[in-house]
Amino acid sequence: MNYPVWELYTAGGGFLIAFIAVIHVYVSHLAVGGGLFLILAEKKAYKSNDPLILEYVKKHTKFFLLLTMVFGGLTGVGIWFTISLLNPSATSTLIHTFVFGWAAEWVCFAGEIVALFIYFYTFGKIDRKSHLKIGWLYFIFAWLSLFLISGIIDFMLTPGQWIENHTFWSGFFNPTMWPAMFFRTFIAFMFAGIFGFLTSMFIVKDDTRLSMTRFCAAWILIPFIFMLASGYWYFMSLPDPIQTMILKRSPALLPYLKIFLISAGVLFAGAILMAVSNISLPFKKALACIILVIGLVYMGGFEFMREGGRKPYVIYNHTYANSILKSDQAQINKQGFLKSARWVQNKEITPLTKFAAGKEIFKLQCSSCHSIGGPMNNILKRTAKFNIFGMDSMLDGLGKINDYMPPFMGTTQERNALATYIVTGLQNKKDTPEMIVETIDKAIDIPPFDTDKDEYILLAWNNLGMHCISDSSPFWVLLPPANDLFAQVIKRGPVPEVITEDIKITYKVEKGFENPSAHIKLWDHAGSIFGKKLERNIGLSGHGLSGEMHLNEDLYAYEASLIPVVPYPDNGGYNPYPLFTIEAVDKKSGKRLAITKTVASTATEMGCKNCHGGEWRVDDLAGFTDATSADILSVHDKNSGTNLLEMAKNGQPQLCQSCHPDPVLGTKGKPGLLNFPAAMHGWHANYLSNRGTEACFKCHPSRPSGPTQCLRGGHANNLDCTSCHGFLEDHALSLLKKEKENGKPGAERLMKHLNPRKVNSLADIIPRTPWINEPDCMGCHTDFTRPDIKSANGFNKWTKGMDELYRMSHDETGELMCEACHGSPHATYPAKNKLSRDIDNIQPLQYQNSRKTIGFKKCSVCHIVEITEPPVHHLMPHL
Amino acid sequence: MNFLELIPLPDAIPVHWGWFQVLLLVTFLLHLLFMNTMLGSSIIALTREFATKDGHCDLNKDLSLKLPYTVAFTVNIGVAPLLFIQVLYGHFMYTSSILMAVYWLSIVLLVIIAYYSLYIYDFKFDALGQGRRIFIAIAVILLLFVGFIFTNNMTLMMQPEKWTRYFTNPYGTLLNLQEKMLIPRYLHFVVGSIAVGGLFQAVVWEFKYKKKIANAKDAVHSGLNWFIGATFVQILIGIWFLSALPKDKMMLFLGADILRTSLLVIGIVCVLCALFFAVKRNVWATFGAALSTITIMVLMRDLLRMTWLKPYFSPASLKVVPEYSPMILFLVSFAAGLVVIFYMLKIAATAGKED
Repeated sequence: MNYPVWELYTAGGGFLIAFIAVIHVYVSHLAVGGGLFLILAEKKAYKSNDPLILEYVKKHTKFFLLLTMVFGGLTGVGIWFTISLLNPSATSTLIHTFVFGWAAEWVCFAGEIVALFIYFYTFGKIDRKSHLKIGWLYFIFAWLSLFLISGIIDFMLTPGQWIENHTFWSGFFNPTMWPAMFFRTFIAFMFAGIFGFLTSMFIVKDDTRLSMTRFCAAWILIPFIFMLASGYWYFMSLPDPIQTMILKRSPALLPYLKIFLISAGVLFAGAILMAVSNISLPFKKALACIILVIGLVYMGGFEFMREGGRKPYVIYNHTYANSILKSDQAQINKQGFLKSARWVQNKEITPLTKFAAGKEIFKLQCSSCHSIGGPMNNILKRTAKFNIFGMDSMLDGLGKINDYMPPFMGTTQERNALATYIVTGLQNKKDTPEMIVETIDKAIDIPPFDTDKDEYILLAWNNLGMHCISDSSPFWVLLPPANDLFAQVIKRGPVPEVITEDIKITYKVEKGFENPSAHIKLWDHAGSIFGKKLERNIGLSGHGLSGEMHLNEDLYAYEASLIPVVPYPDNGGYNPYPLFTIEAVDKKSGKRLAITKTVASTATEMGCKNCHGGEWRVDDLAGFTDATSADILSVHDKNSGTNLLEMAKNGQPQLCQSCHPDPVLGTKGKPGLLNFPAAMHGWHANYLSNRGTEACFKCHPSRPSGPTQCLRGGHANNLDCTSCHGFLEDHALSLLKKEKENGKPGAERLMKHLNPRKVNSLADIIPRTPWINEPDCMGCHTDFTRPDIKSANGFNKWTKGMDELYRMSHDETGELMCEACHGSPHATYPAKNKLSRDIDNIQPLQYQNSRKTIGFKKCSVCHIVEITEPPVHHLMPHL
Repeated sequence: MNFLELIPLPDAIPVHWGWFQVLLLVTFLLHLLFMNTMLGSSIIALTREFATKDGHCDLNKDLSLKLPYTVAFTVNIGVAPLLFIQVLYGHFMYTSSILMAVYWLSIVLLVIIAYYSLYIYDFKFDALGQGRRIFIAIAVILLLFVGFIFTNNMTLMMQPEKWTRYFTNPYGTLLNLQEKMLIPRYLHFVVGSIAVGGLFQAVVWEFKYKKKIANAKDAVHSGLNWFIGATFVQILIGIWFLSALPKDKMMLFLGADILRTSLLVIGIVCVLCALFFAVKRNVWATFGAALSTITIMVLMRDLLRMTWLKPYFSPASLKVVPEYSPMILFLVSFAAGLVVIFYMLKIAATAGKED
């Protein structure tokens, strides 16, 4: 931000530094360990009085000099050049903090050069003791170099007290300085053995060669033990967040840990093999080369882990990987990134500059870690699935739950510009807006009702205003098709009564919806998902698309639960409002008492594809494609260490709630895991912050211009999702807070970056259990009054238990269910359905020729005499 | 785009800036002497390889043994001024380096190749015969190019008014080729190097002469001749360099500023003395006068940078957050390092050294 950024595209994302650093570090550790190796090998030559060994040491010294001094020395300078080009801010901090440390290291470097030259050129020309003394001085200088650089390098990983006091000594003697120094020293000795293997293969005499390879093997095997011990000490000295980052948080780091451990094992085994006598020379030569390569891989594994452990920082807790100082973050978010950065041309975002500004933001905030089509964190691969909304949301969530990346810094407008650039520029995709579905008014047949003659009223409803289905069954299921239909029959009279005996109530789906198994694959995977086989077109509780309803004595209503209806008619398309015909018959006479219709609303307009890639499966309106379903699993696997995608591919798709408990499905899940709604809303709220209802309708089927528009009841006239449920953050926090109280370890992490919006603080949020503590009607409709629309707020006013839920409640007689007269939640009368104006108002129109609540100013629907008594339902005082 | 907005904010320094200034100048002078020796000697060796049939074998053979050292110490001693300049002017130099990143980073690779070429020239001097021309030529060409990159960076870093070019070329392939002083400034370093290379030969063979090695006096003379010839050319290039400066900056060295003018005058006097002593075949006096000249040139170079950057920055304005103890650590290790190095050289002197 303070400096210009070198545009590298394919070679970007830190490739250069990784390339140069790994090679240099390999050679520079050899430069240290190899020093002691030379001395001890020379001593061995003197002790065994073997001129061949001495000759070998001399030749090895030449190789050592040419490798460490020329290549090692210059690549060391090369690292410095590279970091100052790729991360000048952090380099400047390192230089200014440790200038005299570097200067002291430079003295050691000079001492090394002088000593090594003298050691090499005076071989056999000065007395042995002096020559060895020069060797020792070389080793001391080289080790002091390691000592000094080790402190500075580990400062970047664990700056410790330096963050507060900014002193040289605090930074240098940081919490991991000592273990790192020992660890690196032992690695250096091992490398001396590795390179010794290579050169000793050229010793002509078999005995001498074997003696030297065994000598080299000891250089690997003995330090190996100490390397492991100091490595453990090093790891245990790391602060918890860094340990977690390496082991759990950063999915990219675990492979490096594995590489490191495996290659360490291979080195150990290789060294033992090399020491064995009866192996042929060509084999040993090949093995020596392989060990050399494994050594590089081993070092690379370690360095990548160390670098990765400090993610998202380059200097932990001080400078982010993209050079932005942590201390500048708040100001940047306030003022805007473009106005804070020096090396940008577009200080303002206008429609004309949006793309170019996005490109500049990419360069300054992303390109330090992400290449464009290159080997390092290829941005093209990582963002291929996103549209602008998805990309914008991803940027919103950066650095929050997965804190291995820095957060996006800047305004939401800048974030959107960046998302636009990535999607339309880098990915070269067109961002096609969602299809706008116009309201149509399909005529419906209202079943007949004669006020004067008919004796019975049949009220039927779907107990949820919308049932959502994930038709992603080959991969996973979060909600199967399962609508609950309810019905109550009222016998009209001076004192009307709810009939629960001697009647039979049947339901039947409209034509074209009878065969859901032709449209979704649930029945193919039911065994894996639910643990039991399901008969085709039969739901989880045994109900099909037509059948008899059963009396639920607790609710005083007839019920057909978990009907597997799907929004896909046989003639194609998407219709989330299939109609059911409900008929009540006298059991004895078989005479039809009443007939009506109701919708069983069911939607697959779940917008996972907005962020997870893929398309709508049906008519560009709804349904899951495999691409979306698979991506969700792959993201879950990456973030939570599961192997769900692999399982699904092996024919074992899972029910999400089999791990995440959920009251609505009655699953207990795995102990300690967040309940499903808390996990879902909590996770995604981190990516959808500070949004309005779009945060809701990007996932749920409530998009105003969408094909379902599930909020269609009377409340839709003046209210939106947030009026009752709060904003996504509020909604998520209410669920997570409860889970936190329940001792769920995952809650805290999801809550950390969520800020309540409906209330002032987290303390003000009343925790709730999903599906049980829902917005209470009485929260706004105090004493059944009509609230002031402007101040109406249902958030934080939860029902206390299941029995208080609207869908479970009755009037004051205790017989008539609220939904019977008011309709389904989200579709309360008078509703306005997008598909057909009155499809949700059939019963009010049938029984009272009005769209309003059953009985609204028309007691005669049930009461055949004029009512003079005080209201027994809960009629509003103004009536 | 206002280039002033582009200049990055500097970081605080731990001790008074004067310390870094002194360390920068002293270590740069040392680096320059080694660099001049390395580059100048290589150029002379190359010239001799092509000018004579056997490459004047004993002279070049002797050089071939020494050139790898000169690279090693040029690089090593170059680290120190590169460190101290970053302390004082890092925010300028990082920026200019990024603008020319491809060239700047290539230095590492080029020097490695040049270094190995010189080692081959050394280790295989006799075995290669005329083939060794290739290796000395590779080294010279690469080192000349490296020097050119350095000159580009050192001029671009002090001219932030040119940094806006980044917005049309952010790929790290900018150079400062439009700059009028670029070529004379570069040549001033190259030709100066040849002079120092010649002087180095004179000094080396002066020692050999004392050891009564045959033809040593001829070698001393030939070295001094290189010095004289190059220094003459150097004076002309110096005039070109001065005249290529913007007039206001040039005038500072021609009377407008007492310090700068005095330094130029002293520098001219020193160089004339050096020429005089060289003609008189007095190696050590020539060496003394040349060293004085180079010292003056280093000071003038630094003052020119300060002049150029004056509108935007002065190292005196850097915030100091005092912490002197690390400097003591460095000074102690520096002294100890010198003692040990001398001790080692003393041990080495007991041997036949590289011979």
